[in-house]
Amino acid sequence: MSRAMAERVHKALADENLQTALTRLLGLIKYVRQITFANLDFEALSSEIRRVKETSIANLPDLVGQFKLQATKAGAIVYEAEDAEDACGYISMVTREHGVKHVVKSKSMLGEEIGIREHLEKTGISVTETDIGEWIVQLANERPAHLVGPAVHKTIEQVAELVSKATGRNIGIEPQILLDASREALRQTYIQADMGMSGANIALAETGSLIVVTNEGNGCMSTTMPPVHVAMVGYEKIVSGWNDAAAILRLLSRCTNGMKMPVYVSHITGPSRTDAIPGSVHTGSGGPREVHIVLVDNGRWQMQETDDFREALYCIKCGTCLNVCPVFASVAGQTYGHIYQGGIGAILTAFLHSAQKAEEVASLCLGCMACRDACPVRIDIPRMITALKTGLAREKGLPWLSKMAYGRVLKNQPTFDRLIKIGSYVQQPFVDNDLMIRRLPGSLKSLTQTISLPSLSRRPLGERLKGYSSPGRTDKPGVAFYSGCVGSYAYPETCEQAMQLLKKCGAQPYYPEKQACCGAPAYFAGDMETALSLARTNIAALEEMKPDFIATVCPGCANVIKREYLALTANDTKLNRRAKALAGKVRDLSQLILELTPSRSEKTLSNQKVTYHDPCHLKRGLGVFDEPRKLLKREGFEIVEMADADACCGFGGHVVLSYPELSKSILKRKLDNIEATGVDTVVTNCLPCVLQLRGGLDKRHSKIKVVHSADLLINSL
Amino acid sequence: MSAEVTNPVAAFVEEASKAGAKVYEASSAEDAGVCLLKMIQEKNVKTAVKSKSEIANTIKLRERLAKEGISIVETDLKEWLSQLSGDKPSGKKTIGYMQELISEATGQKLDNEPRALLDAANLFLRQRCVEADLGISEASAAIAETGSLVVAGNEGVTRLVAVLPRIHVTLVEGNNVVSSLEDVFGKIQTSNPSSTGQVMPAYITYITGRNTTADIPGAVLARAQGPAEEYIIVINKPVKRGAE
Repeated sequence: MSRAMAERVHKALADENLQTALTRLLGLIKYVRQITFANLDFEALSSEIRRVKETSIANLPDLVGQFKLQATKAGAIVYEAEDAEDACGYISMVTREHGVKHVVKSKSMLGEEIGIREHLEKTGISVTETDIGEWIVQLANERPAHLVGPAVHKTIEQVAELVSKATGRNIGIEPQILLDASREALRQTYIQADMGMSGANIALAETGSLIVVTNEGNGCMSTTMPPVHVAMVGYEKIVSGWNDAAAILRLLSRCTNGMKMPVYVSHITGPSRTDAIPGSVHTGSGGPREVHIVLVDNGRWQMQETDDFREALYCIKCGTCLNVCPVFASVAGQTYGHIYQGGIGAILTAFLHSAQKAEEVASLCLGCMACRDACPVRIDIPRMITALKTGLAREKGLPWLSKMAYGRVLKNQPTFDRLIKIGSYVQQPFVDNDLMIRRLPGSLKSLTQTISLPSLSRRPLGERLKGYSSPGRTDKPGVAFYSGCVGSYAYPETCEQAMQLLKKCGAQPYYPEKQACCGAPAYFAGDMETALSLARTNIAALEEMKPDFIATVCPGCANVIKREYLALTANDTKLNRRAKALAGKVRDLSQLILELTPSRSEKTLSNQKVTYHDPCHLKRGLGVFDEPRKLLKREGFEIVEMADADACCGFGGHVVLSYPELSKSILKRKLDNIEATGVDTVVTNCLPCVLQLRGGLDKRHSKIKVVHSADLLINSL
Repeated sequence: MSAEVTNPVAAFVEEASKAGAKVYEASSAEDAGVCLLKMIQEKNVKTAVKSKSEIANTIKLRERLAKEGISIVETDLKEWLSQLSGDKPSGKKTIGYMQELISEATGQKLDNEPRALLDAANLFLRQRCVEADLGISEASAAIAETGSLVVAGNEGVTRLVAVLPRIHVTLVEGNNVVSSLEDVFGKIQTSNPSSTGQVMPAYITYITGRNTTADIPGAVLARAQGPAEEYIIVINKPVKRGAE
């Protein structure tokens, strides 16, 4: 967490215009996504892009050689720039050579990355952004808020003011008139310009061609009307040929605006030319006479060579990860503080700018995995964020407080238990009659501003579950119960009920007493040493009695045990084998109950209506979303689905501690959706989600109850 | 991902219409001309610019539009020079003759220097595109899968004709409609035999439907920076090219 970031988050959340614009944008995006993907084989199309990008990036050195050769043959001038300074320097030189005074530029994230506009402006050249959104952002003297919709954060009133000022006319908030005025203003700049600049969405090695995509038509004009065209191209844009480009184009536009193809796809191979004039072929016929292609490294080759981060180069800059990101929905793009936003932005920023800036961006991540599931190239952004944090922690160490918390407390279960016990006494003055903590003093105040907290249980789970200490000798399936920290210390009664349920279902549940924290807080903060130590402890504790299953009530823990332990133990063959054996046994409670009682018939529908919240780590982490619903229905509950049931509740990552305001804003959307269903009970299968939702609804003085499936089913199964 | 489409023309018409283009199906090149003239009258077109189009040449489109009182300018350099020379069989293609034609057309006294002549022609033709009510193009191919038109050429002005005027109309032969994106390249290379020594034309523009923007808050608006209307005329009968 950084103070500067906290300030930006605060500013964004307090900006009413921004919040209005965001609400509008998200509604539009949701609508577009629904219609776009309704009858589409997204899996097949995204597999195809993934294949194309994997192959291209793996063969990049060869493709670059081929691209340079072919582009040069076609008459383009190719320059390879090492970094931003090199690229800007070269482009500046081209402007001097041609005495350039006015530049028109179509949208290019790479242009933002290297700061070309500012660079040229410093030399006295006027640069006009020609994408209308980007132009608006330029007029406002801001940075783009979104990869594809730079001005999505602006309201119509703000746009009217900016366009009026730029055109010297007094234009109201009538969209059509604003658009006409913008078009006319921009037309003049193309006519006047002596250089056009663009990026490239794709570059083709086989023919040395550039592909520039726009919906407005500005890409066609910026690259054709001025006598010189300079394209800035990141190396990662190069693919082999047109067939590869087709695979990318098929999803690019669908992801950005729901269309099958962008309106204009400009395919440019060398400068314009004609043979109409006798003697020879002349360039510069109805278009530029020079095309410069500036290939920019600026950290890309380093990414290409790093196993952990290579896939960030597969990004096609479609913006889908931002569209589904709950943090983006609350604070929009500028808050991230740098060029590239969202989860993918953290990774790109680390390589293309600086690790420190990347750390700030990464600190906003909830780890909800919505981006990973929506990405058309299937880039595992959350995995890279963890890898980034690990790298940063290794390089500069963790903050001392985290180091102590993870290293000394989490690793040492008796110390942890003792601290909690102390806490359970210390908290006493602040615990209300219903065992909720609604107000904490001093520096802890912020903890209870967003949600009311559950009080810490005085009786640790281990004590309560003495009777469940071992499976004993029986034919029944043995189920090791893993409670997780929130279960142990805040909601032990739910854990007890889960055990009873398992017993009712014919299993022999038991509580391995040596279990410890799963290690998630350390793991996701990049403290791999502590995480590995905890993995060892838990693997030993869970495998001891050779259970058939491991039941969990916290999908966050379940994910760590099932997936992350495999990665953590990768260098220890023996331990890794043991981790693998356990991974196959991990179940969510509802999932396991269904497995244990497959033949129970459906109960008649009771009149109790509930709504179900999908925990991120259960739905996207473990792929479990149908089972909890199925079980509830089987037991006679009617499910009223809320909008965005699988959106994060705001508890993920360190966001809830580092940026409580942000967590609150994400929680607000969730609670609004819950209230809109009109039911009086929310069910979810994750105790941290229960904590967040219960605490949030309590702050609203809501009558809606939040329960884990175990709490509800105990009376019906 | 490419899949054969049983009726590419029908699929193209459907997709292009969905993307916001207005598509007409003409039974012949002749019929396409009639269709175009009707549209011109309805839309109050006074000035037009035209890219190179064999279909248009076949049905003498320029002459017919001129007869209707429409000021029409060829934008392909060779065609423009031919138009300026009164379509005389061009045996005489010396630089001096071009100097004469371009100087007269642009009202300037130009040197017989290729660069100067090209620059003057570029400016003149670009200005015609900016002012024109109508741009006329011919597509080398069209794509059933996406409803896209594929307009190719070596001169930049092919794209200005497609983007700058208020209305853009594209003629395309039904025979040139291909199933999917991947099938385009073969078509382009056969229908644009290179006269400038390159494998690929300098510009290929894929146009899909009507240009839009979502950058002005409130709605997705049509006509961002390109034409307000995008017309397509698909000719369902093979055009006998060059027939007089």
